[in-house]
Formats: sequence, structure tokens, C-alpha cells
Amino acid sequence: MIVEREDSALLLAEVDRFARERVAAATARAETPIGAAVLEQLSQEAAALGLLSTATGESGFGIWEHVDHAGAMAFNIGALTQLGRANAGVAFAWHRTALARWVAGQLALELDAASLLGTTLVSTGHYGLARTSVARWLKSAALHGDEVALLADWLDRGAHATVVVAPHAWRTLLWPVWSDGRIAWQLAHRDRLDVQPCRAQHGLDELAAFQVRDSSSTAELKRLDDAASRLIYGRTLKMDMIGLLAIAAGALVRGQELATDYAAIRTQGGKIIAGHPAVQRMLGDIEIARHHADVALASLARPIDDIDAGAVAATRVSAHALLCDAANQVVQVHGGIGYMCEAGPEKIVRDQNMLKLQAGGTREAHAFLAGWIGAFA
Amino acid sequence: MSAPTHLEGHLPADHPLSPRRQYRDLPLIGRSLANYPVKDLWETDFARLPGPLARQRRRARAFAEQHLVPVADELDLAAHLPAGECHPAALEVLREAGRQGWLSYFLPRPLGSMPWRALPYPPIWQCSLIVEEFSRACGGLMLLLSAHHLGAMPLLLSGNVRNILRHLGPVYRSCERGDPHLVAFAITEPGAGSDVEEGEGAARAHPGVVATSTTGGWLLNGRKCFISGGDLARTATVFAALEGEGMESWTCFYVDCAAPGFRVARTELKMGMRASGAAELEFTDLFVPHDRVIGGLRRGWAINRATLNASRIPVAAMGVGFARAATETALDFAKRYTLGGRALIHYQDVQLHLATMVAETRAIRSLVWQEARGAWQPRQLNASMCKFHATDRAQVVCEMAMDLLADHGGLHERKVEKIFRDVRLTRIFEGTNQINRLSLMEDWQDQLLDVDQHMGV
Repeated sequence: MIVEREDSALLLAEVDRFARERVAAATARAETPIGAAVLEQLSQEAAALGLLSTATGESGFGIWEHVDHAGAMAFNIGALTQLGRANAGVAFAWHRTALARWVAGQLALELDAASLLGTTLVSTGHYGLARTSVARWLKSAALHGDEVALLADWLDRGAHATVVVAPHAWRTLLWPVWSDGRIAWQLAHRDRLDVQPCRAQHGLDELAAFQVRDSSSTAELKRLDDAASRLIYGRTLKMDMIGLLAIAAGALVRGQELATDYAAIRTQGGKIIAGHPAVQRMLGDIEIARHHADVALASLARPIDDIDAGAVAATRVSAHALLCDAANQVVQVHGGIGYMCEAGPEKIVRDQNMLKLQAGGTREAHAFLAGWIGAFA
Repeated sequence: MSAPTHLEGHLPADHPLSPRRQYRDLPLIGRSLANYPVKDLWETDFARLPGPLARQRRRARAFAEQHLVPVADELDLAAHLPAGECHPAALEVLREAGRQGWLSYFLPRPLGSMPWRALPYPPIWQCSLIVEEFSRACGGLMLLLSAHHLGAMPLLLSGNVRNILRHLGPVYRSCERGDPHLVAFAITEPGAGSDVEEGEGAARAHPGVVATSTTGGWLLNGRKCFISGGDLARTATVFAALEGEGMESWTCFYVDCAAPGFRVARTELKMGMRASGAAELEFTDLFVPHDRVIGGLRRGWAINRATLNASRIPVAAMGVGFARAATETALDFAKRYTLGGRALIHYQDVQLHLATMVAETRAIRSLVWQEARGAWQPRQLNASMCKFHATDRAQVVCEMAMDLLADHGGLHERKVEKIFRDVRLTRIFEGTNQINRLSLMEDWQDQLLDVDQHMGV
């Protein structure tokens, strides 16, 4: 199914309305995160709108249902940006569940059709981005022994706990594992995993964090041939990184609105603070970050197989850094009130930090990029 | 598994090419110039401090590790309490801190708890050392214990011995008995945070809290907001304009928080430093007798600014404490967490990352100590510079720690995310870091306007 750019714009207008009127409204009190029931209700509404699908086939216009042409990618990116603007936690939950359904569709795995948020996904190993190794494996480079051992360890779900950020009541987890020298996939049921709920996490307050280990390895592996393994994993990694960046860009849009609105009414030294160069500088920083993210995301609105994974990783490093800095400037524009939970800016900072830390974080992206261009571990 | 003898990529200390091994074998003069003991970095700095301050620093660390660390997480995650209520664990910390002298160290015995031998050194230096140790353990509890000194500072800066003996003496004695009498510093007004922290804003600001003359004293009306420790304070130094006058009439009033007309309207739910309350205080015809005017009528602005000059170096020390906590946490993670069968510390890029964090942390500590060492009369330029630079860089260090922990960095159990939430406030309070940059320039302007004067930096 082809989604033309014009169609995408029309669909996004609907998503924008839904994000503003339902998601943003339901999550307006930043100091009081929504509970599981409200998240489920919003998810049902998103499904009714077609944003989320319970099917694993390509049936509609939901997030990540189509990735093979530019219009569809523009829709995916635009929808996640709009949802991120409304609430990063909700957007993250829907991004990961939609991505899980896309991967399951590729693998011909059956997911629970009755539970919208029942399946979540982790795209990386237990820490970082496997240094240079996963990039070199994706490039079909001949791996030496240490690299294979590192990949096996990186994706060893029994030896290491994997951090999972997801809706409280997730039931199944789709994650990559290392098997026979390539990446396979495992759909693991929660009740067969060692799941340690964390006391709290830094941001994405609508969700919960868990440390998950698969001690028994009873879940069936979905093995693929070399080419399919690389293709599906490469696509998944790119989609996850693009989704995280889109959500973060949307969250900053909200931050920018808060900052400009506040700067237009708050006075200091007898005039509104938007008139002070110190504040103008910060507003400029926010605009620079938003522009950078917009340009970056626009460059990624292409068929998924036309997008270079190295370009996505490189974009992610610079864009998330700028978005985090800009979110901090949103707080700084507000001064003391920006630190208070009910005002909203501090949550945007925490959410930005969380989005940067997902999918291996950004610090190891440098090694990933070195591997992508041919460097050894 | 035996412990490795060296980090990967480096020679072990006993290798023939290890310079440290060879330094020991140099002739006497060469050895005395080149050979060095390998000590813990904190201990190295310890040896560079004057003895009395070094002992205070060690005591502060011991207190923080024994009393603050065990309850830090519980207080950070505790439900937001109604105004005026104190978590039992926080109350116990306050009592013990009072008994051990951590709420009374700005004066020597018998008035306070400062060791006599520390008297030759600026109290700001001693305070900065203590604040770093407490911040490393828990930002919220540090603020709970430190905001009190900020509140008491105007009593000291008034320069009036009677004020000190009449007002501060009982505060300190009560604290040392284990009955914590906290003092809050109340300058910020709704919609006027920065106006009370720099002159240009104050010149145009409309005072929010006003003092009206009445028989025997003054009646205060208005609101103050974001007052650290204001919810638990028994007394507060409240700054108010005189009726019909502007900010130049600001006067410091020493307010009894149990007096009729004083109300804690609310406390804020904050991003971090949650063990300490940020209160909105409401004054309705709150009577303050003449003898509780601190420093004289219309002297409040000067006392306020001098208080900020005194407090900004300790705020910079908070940054050092948070950067240190983040660095130590990241080091611990890198030593324990393995990837590909190797602890992260063995990877060269991790070593580069940690080296930068250590350097940043120690650089801002050097800055704080340099400024604190000479802070008998802390200059606005130096205090502001120290505050904004140390806290800005401290946040960078905390972000680096989160980045190093990657997927794990957002988990509360890993501690770094709390340190980030705590450090974030240091760039906002005591004047935003933008205001502090302007304060530097304000204090420098006489020299800057003289085009012929050679400028030393």
C-alpha cells in the first residue's frame, strides 16, 4: 500500500488533532502521570483511529505499518513527533508496541490480538551498541573471534539483565538474541522471564522500568538466514532510532511552546523576559535544536532500505544532544518554576534524557560508526 | 577469577617500562623530585587543606555516609508531604546533624560548633567543604541542612553582636541540643525571582511583600515563594519593602514562623532535592517587633546581596559534590559491569570518558577552593563566576555519567538519574546562571568602562 505525501499530510492532520485533544489533554498534569487504565483507554482510541494495529499484517495506516516508501515514513515520523509533543511516554509506548508488531509481521509470529500494549520490544543488547561489532556484522564484514564473542555476550539474555521500559502490564517481549553466528528473535512471555521491576525511572513517567533476564531460555527462537537476519535487524534498529528521535523532537516542540509562552508574559527588570538577550539566546538555542531535528527527520523520510544505518546513528548522536540541551534551556527560561513538576519543563528534560538513553544510548554510537565505516573493534 | 594486574591497554605498575617503578630507583635527588605516592585523589586533596578544615571535611564525609546515604533514596521517592509535615527519617537526620554541630558551624564555641582552630580560615571555605560532602551523599538532605545557614547569614552579616547573641545564639543552642531550629531565607516573590537577585531588575520591580509601620514594630503582608526549608523553619529572615517605597527600602525582618499571620501556603513537588521542601509563605498582618529588624531599615538590599555573595561559592561546591558523586558512581559501574567478558573500565573509550569526568570534577573543585580560600569578603564577581561555571560543568559531568551507563542510566537504582535531578537545581537557585553571568559583569563594570585601564584577568 502506497501512502502519498499528500495522503500523509491529511492523515497527520488527524493525528495532530487526536494528539492535542485526547493525548495532551489526558496527560496535561505533568506532576500526576496517567495510570495504566488511562493509557489503555488512549490506546484503544488510537487503535480506533487506525494509529495502532492489533494485526501483524500490513492492513492500515498505523505507526510502522508501512516503511517501504517515503510517504509512509513521513507519516511514521510525523505521527510520532506529534504524539511526542503531546506526551513522550505515551508516544514511546506506542512506538515500541507498533515496532514489535512490525517485527512480528516480518517473522510471521502471532501476537495477542486482544492486547494493544501487551507486546513490547527491545532493539539492542544489554548495554550500548556492541561497540563496533554489530555495525560490522550488519555490513557483512568478516568478524574475528572477539567480535563474535562480544555479540554473543551483548545479546545473551540469560547472563545479563536487559533494561526494559514499557507499560506496566506488558505480557510479551520481543528481543534479538545471538544464535549460530547471527541475530535471531525471541518472543518471550513475561511469566517465564525473571522480571525485576525497578523502583522508579528518570522519565517517561507513564511507563515503568524493569530489569529482565531470561534464565531458562524456554522461549522459541525465530531463526533466519544470514541475509534476512541482517535485513530485519538493520531495519528494526533504524526504525527504533528514528522513532526515538521523532518523539524527542516532538517533546521539544512542546518545550518550545512552553518557553515562548512563558517568555512572552513573564517580566523581569520591568519588561517581558523575551526582550532580554539572555533569554533570546536560550530561545535561539531551542529553535536551533528544533530546526536541526526537523532537518534530520526530513532526511529520514525515505524508504527504510534507502536509509543508511550509520547516518541514523550519527544523526541520533548530534540531534539528541541538541534536544537535551534545548530542553534544559526550556527549564532555564522558566527559572525556579521550571524546576517544579506541575509546570512541565522539568519532565521534558527527563523524557529527553530517557529517549537519548534508549536503544543503547548515544555514547557508543561513535564506536558503532567506526565499525560502520570499517574499523575493527 | 583473580583480579587483573592492570587495565587493558596499559602496562602493569611492575613492568620494566613502567615509569613509576623506575622512579623508585632513581638517585636520591631524582627520586625526591619524581617519585610520588599513589594515593586516593580525595586523600590527596585532603593533604592540601589546612589541618582544621581537613578534619572538618573528614567528619562531614563520615556523617554523610553514616546518616545521609542510608535514607537518601527513601526520601527521594517518598510521597509529597503536606506543608509543614516532615518525614521521620529527615527529622532524625536534622536532630543528629544538630547534635553533631552541622547546623551551627558558622560561629566558634561556645556560640556555635566551629572548631577554634578553623577560625583563621574563611567560614565560606569550611562551608564549601561540608556542602560538597553532603551533596555527594544526597542533594535533598544537603539542602535541608544548608538552607538553614543561608537563612541565618543575614543575622551574621548585619554585623550586630546583639543580633547574633539574641537571635542566632538560641538557634544554635537549640540545634546542638538535638532540637533543630531551622532558619529560612525568604527573598523570592511570585513572578519576581530574578528581580531580587540583581540590581537592574530590582530598580524596576514592584515589591510584593510590604512592611507597614505599626505600634512597636511592623506588619508584613504578601507572599514569598520557592523558599528552601521554609516549611520546617521556626524563624525566617524575610525581606520586605517599606510601605510606599521601592526595592531600595528593602529591610530584613527576623520573623517568628509561629506568629499569627504566618502561613505555609504550599510546598512544591520538585524535580529533585526532594528531601528539602520549597515553600510558599504567606504573610497576613504578620507583626514583627522593632528589635527584630536586622541590620537597620533600608539595609536589606545590601544584606541580601552580601548573603548571595556568601552563598554562591557553597552552591558551586554543591556542583562539585554532585559531579563527584556522578563520577564515583560511573567509576563503580565501569569497574563492575562487563561487556564481552571484560569490565567496561578496560575499554579505552570508557577510560577516556572517565578521565574527562575526573578532570572536570577536580577542575571545578580547584575553582571552588581557590575562591573560597580568599572569601573573607566574598566578591560578587568571583562568587558568581564560581557558581555558574561550577554548576554548569557539574551538570555536564552528570550527563556524562548517564551516558556511560547508557540503557541503565535512567534507572533509579543506578543513582545517577537522581544526581542529575539534584544538580539541575544548582543552575537555577541563588540566581539563574544567566543572572550570575550578568552579576559578574555588573561587579566588573568600573574597570570595563575605563578604556585606558589595563585589564587583568
